[in-house]
Amino acid sequence: MKDVVCMSGVELLMEYMEGALTPDVRAAIEAHVAGCPRCDAFIASYRETPRIVRDATRVEMPAGLEASLLTALRNARN
Amino acid sequence: MAVGAAESSDEDLAARAVAGNHSAFEALVVRYQHRVFRLACRLTSETDAPDVVQDTFLQVYRHLSAFRGQAQFSTWLYRIATNAALMHRRARARRPAVSLEEFLPRFDAEGRLEDTPEALRIASRADELLDRRVLATKTQAAIEGLPNLYREAFVLRDLEELSTDEVARVLGVEPATVRQRVHRARLMVREYLGELAGGRL
Repeated sequence: MKDVVCMSGVELLMEYMEGALTPDVRAAIEAHVAGCPRCDAFIASYRETPRIVRDATRVEMPAGLEASLLTALRNARN
Repeated sequence: MAVGAAESSDEDLAARAVAGNHSAFEALVVRYQHRVFRLACRLTSETDAPDVVQDTFLQVYRHLSAFRGQAQFSTWLYRIATNAALMHRRARARRPAVSLEEFLPRFDAEGRLEDTPEALRIASRADELLDRRVLATKTQAAIEGLPNLYREAFVLRDLEELSTDEVARVLGVEPATVRQRVHRARLMVREYLGELAGGRL
C-alpha cells in the first residue's frame, strides 16, 4: 500500500483497533505512527475518549423507579 | 419472584414469561432496568429516561410472544430500547445546544495533522482539567449534538460497551457500518473534548 499520512491513517483507526485491516495496511500504519508524534498523541486521545464520556455520563437509576415501573407494567396487563 | 429466577438465562425467563409467568417477566425487568435506564439517559436525557424505560418494557411485554429466541434476548431488548429512545427524541424535537458535525480533526495540504502533539493530546485530559459537573453536562450535550445515526452506534459501542457485532445486530447493519459510524462519532467527540479541555469553548 501507498505510504500512510496522518489523514489516511486516522481514517482507518477504528478498523485498525478492531483488527479489521490486512497485515500490510496494518504495518504501513504502524510504520507511520512510529515516526509521527502527532499521530501518537491523536491515537492516545482517541482511545481515551470513550472512557471519559462513559465516566462523565454514568448515572444511577433513581430509587423508587423500579417500584413505579413494576406497578405500571402490572397495571398494563390487567 | 420465582425461585431460581436469578440463575435462569434470559431466554429461559422469556420463554416462561411468554407462557404467562409474570414473575419471570418481572425478573427480566429487574435484571435489565438499570442498563436500559442508563442507555435511555445517554440517548435522551435523565428527565426522559423513566418514560423511555417504561415504554421499552411495555413493548417487550406486548411483543414477547414474537421473540422466539432466534436472537439473544439482550440484543432484542436493546433494539426496542434504542427505538423507544428515538421515538422520544422525535416527539421532543429539540434543537441540540451544540452540533458536533463541524468538530473534526484538521489536516494540512499534505494530509498531516495540523495541531501540535500537545494540543492533540489534551482531549485525553478533559477529565483532569474540567470540573466534574461541567464535564457531565458538556458530554451529554456532545452526545445530543451527534447526528442520529452516529449517536446510537457511539452510545451502544463506546458507552454501553456492546461488541461491534452486537451493535450491528441491534441496529440491523453490517459491522463495517458500525465501525464507520462509531469512528465518525468518536472523531467528533474527541475534537469537542479537546476544544473544551483547551479552553476554546
